[in-house]
Amino acid sequence: MNWVTWESVGVDRMGCAWLIRRYIDAEAQFIFVPHASAPLPEDAEPFDIPGVRLSHHAGHCSFHAFLQQYDLEDPVLTRIARMIDEADTVQEVQLEPVAPGLDFLCEGIRLTSPDDETALNRGMMIYDALYARLSAERGFSDECERKP
Amino acid sequence: MGWLLLVYRIPREPTKGRVYAWRKLKQLGALALQDAVWVLPATDRCRENFQWLASEIVELGGESLLFDTELLMGTTDDALRERFEEPVLAAYEEILTALEHREPDLAALSKKYQQTLIHDYFRCSLGERVRKKLLAASGGAQ
Repeated sequence: MNWVTWESVGVDRMGCAWLIRRYIDAEAQFIFVPHASAPLPEDAEPFDIPGVRLSHHAGHCSFHAFLQQYDLEDPVLTRIARMIDEADTVQEVQLEPVAPGLDFLCEGIRLTSPDDETALNRGMMIYDALYARLSAERGFSDECERKP
Repeated sequence: MGWLLLVYRIPREPTKGRVYAWRKLKQLGALALQDAVWVLPATDRCRENFQWLASEIVELGGESLLFDTELLMGTTDDALRERFEEPVLAAYEEILTALEHREPDLAALSKKYQQTLIHDYFRCSLGERVRKKLLAASGGAQ
């Protein structure tokens, strides 16, 4: 399936692409269009573009919209959504110290990548790492709860 | 120097939507001109934030227009810049004053520094001074 988003990807779109590939469409093909001006191709699902279904809603990032639209109920994914919320949108409450760092790294990946496709591919590693680290943390807290 | 202008209208009821938009603008550190137009410096990050807010306003039943502009007359880029810097400088000064106290709450002050930095779009030199003072107060290297 084809997926389309604006070019010059950042923290939210890298996260969305990771989520698409890992949970929704392993064969996903990504198309990038210049901001605002260009019409969107019809045979592709748009994401992280203002006004579309898989985008920012009620102050939440597009990653969050994906979790809701595709009923992905994994606490680790919910936690990642919160981090991207804090990294990518203005939030009054900030609970995730990792968020600004995640944003910086994703911007850096974009800057060192020759194109958006490469940036998304490199972003996969960041989000795999984040997922693994958060899962390990959960394992630890489960262990704590089990202790009498 | 470029500026982004956001003009919007949002239904009076429910008041939730209006309050939401206003709080977001405050969080972004946007400047209200003539009680009608909201301004931010034209950086990529600000452009993106304003675009999201503009589409959220539409979602809340309102209308919004977003412009990427240059100032022609009425004021100067520097004067506009100073208006952005005013609250930022005040916040930095507060941190410096608090650092003079005998046992300053360094954790709270560094948090305040980080939050102020978000609105410090022009990276004023006072910010660098605050950073150095905080480092010195923590006993770290300068």
